[in-house]
Amino acid sequence: MRLHVSDVGVRFGKITALRSVHASADGGKVIAVLGPNASGKTTLLRTIAGLQSPSSGKVELDGIRVNAMSPHDRASKISWVPRIAEVAGSFTIRRVVELGRFALGPSQSRVDDALSKVDLLDRSESLWHTASAGMRQRAALARALAQRTPGGLIVLDEPSSALDLHHLQTMGDLLRNCALDGDIVIAALHDIGFAMEIADEVLVLKEGQIVLAGQTKAVLTPSSLGGVFGVDLTWATDESGKQHLVTP
Amino acid sequence: MRARAIFVIFLLSILLAASATLRMLITRDVDGSITLVFPEEQYFLYRIVPLVAALIVGAGLGVSGMGLQVLLRNPLASPWILGLSSGAGLGVMSNLYFDYTYGMSFIGSQSIAAVIGAIVALSLVYVLSRRRGGIDPMTMVLVGVVISVLCGAGIMILQHAVPMGLRGAFTTWLMGSLPEVESWGKLSILGGITLIGIVIIAWWGPTLDAACLSDDEATSVGVDLPGIRRKLFITSSVLAAIGVILAGPIAFVGLIAPHGARLLLSGSHRILTITSALCGALLLICADDIRQLVDLGSGRLPIGIVTSVFGGVVFLVLLLRGRGRI
Repeated sequence: MRLHVSDVGVRFGKITALRSVHASADGGKVIAVLGPNASGKTTLLRTIAGLQSPSSGKVELDGIRVNAMSPHDRASKISWVPRIAEVAGSFTIRRVVELGRFALGPSQSRVDDALSKVDLLDRSESLWHTASAGMRQRAALARALAQRTPGGLIVLDEPSSALDLHHLQTMGDLLRNCALDGDIVIAALHDIGFAMEIADEVLVLKEGQIVLAGQTKAVLTPSSLGGVFGVDLTWATDESGKQHLVTP
Repeated sequence: MRARAIFVIFLLSILLAASATLRMLITRDVDGSITLVFPEEQYFLYRIVPLVAALIVGAGLGVSGMGLQVLLRNPLASPWILGLSSGAGLGVMSNLYFDYTYGMSFIGSQSIAAVIGAIVALSLVYVLSRRRGGIDPMTMVLVGVVISVLCGAGIMILQHAVPMGLRGAFTTWLMGSLPEVESWGKLSILGGITLIGIVIIAWWGPTLDAACLSDDEATSVGVDLPGIRRKLFITSSVLAAIGVILAGPIAFVGLIAPHGARLLLSGSHRILTITSALCGALLLICADDIRQLVDLGSGRLPIGIVTSVFGGVVFLVLLLRGRGRI
C-alpha cells in the first residue's frame, strides 16, 4: 500500500487549516505527526482518512482518491481512532468494538482478539458511559484493530492522552505490530518520548504547513523541535542509556 | 441479552393487551359511576376505533421519536418538541381552512398537508440549528420550540379566520384527541404505512447503532451518514405526521416512549425500535384509560392533556438530569 498526499490545502471559510502539504508513505511504517496546538494535525489526519475533503490537492491510497472511495471500500482500507470516542447510545464496550465490523461483516473472533489485546475482554460487557477515558481510548483502538485489514492504513488522532504507562506501552507495541503486518500507521501525538519510541518517520506541522519531515532520529533534535514549539530543549540520558528530549 | 429482549417484548405485549382490554371495558354510567363491562354492540365501534387509532399513533410516535433522537444525536428530540407535530398541525389546519373557504381539498389532501408541514418544520429546525458544520443539541431544542410557537401562531391565525362555529372544533383538535369515528379504510392505510415505517426503521437498526458514534467514527466504519439521515428524516416525519392526522398534536409520547424502551433494554436499535413502538402504544392506551376514568365535570379530558401533564413532568426530569443518553 502507498499513501500519497499531494499539494493538499484545507480551508474553513477564511481560515486556512492546511496549505500545500506534500507527503508520502509506504506500508510497514509508523509515522508520527507532531506540532503545536492548532497547527493542523487533526485536519491533516481527517483529510488522510477521507473524513475531510481537501479544498485543493488530493490524498490517494494506491492511486485511488480516499474521498472518492465508497463507504465500504474506505472502511476496509482505513481505520480511524479519534482523540475522544463518542457514543450516544446505551451500548456495551463490546458493542462499540463490534461496530468496527459494521461494513465488513461480523467477526466475533476478531472482536474478542482486539478486546483481549487492549485488556478489555473482561470489562467488555460494561456500559460505555461507565468506562473511564483511558478505557474508551483503548476501546477505540480495539475497534480499529477489529476493523483493520492487514496492509491497510490506521489513522490515530492523539490516541494516548488518557493512557497509563502500561497501556501506553501496549499501544506502542500494537501499533508497531500493525506496521510489521504491512500497515501504514499515522498518529498525531503530543508525547514526544512516545513518538521517539514508536515512529519510523516524523512530520512536524506548524501553522498548517509541514516544517520538518524525515527519519525520527534526524528530525527530533533539540534545535529543530525547540524552534517549532518555541521552547528550549535538551537531551537527557536515563539509567539505561536512552536519550530523551527534555526542557532544561 | 436475547432472552432479556424476548422477555421485555413479551412483558410489554401483555401490558398492552391488558390496557387495551381495560379500554374496551371501562364504562362510565349516566350517574358518573365507573363499571367494567363489555360494550353493547352499538357502542363497540366507539371503543375499538380509538383503540386502533391509539395503537397506530402511539407506536408511530414512539418510533419517530427514537429515530429523531438518533438522527439529531439529541436525547431531548421528539416530534412535538422539534416542531414536527406543530408543523403537521399547521398543514392540517391550512387544509381545513382552504377546504372551508375555497372548497380546495381532495381525497388525501389532509394527509399530504400534514406530511409536508412536518417535513418543512423539521427541515427548518435542522438548518437553523447548525453551528460550524455541527448541530448543537440545546440550540436545536430551542429552535424547535420557536418553530413550534410560530406554527402555533399560524394555527391561531387560521382559527381566527374561520367562523365562530368552527373554532370549537379547531380548539378540540388542537388539544389532541383520538377519533371515535373513523373509516376503516383510512385506519388501514395509515396503520399499514406506520407498520411499514416501523419495519423499515427496525431494518436499519445496525446502521442506527453505528450512527450513534461521532460523525467521523461512523463514517470511518462505513456508514453512509448523509444517506441514512435523509431516509430517517423522511420516515420519522411521516410517522409523526400520521399521528397528527389521526389524533392531532399529541405531546411527549415521542419523547418518553424511546426513553422508557432504553430503560428496559440497552443496545441494538433493531430491538429498540420494537420496544419503542410497544412503549408508545402502551403509553397512549394507558393515557386513554386514565382519560376514561377522569371527569372534571365538563366531560372527559382530551387525551393530549393527559399526555402533556405526564410527559411534561418526565421531560423536566430529563432536562434537569442533563445527561440523558440517546
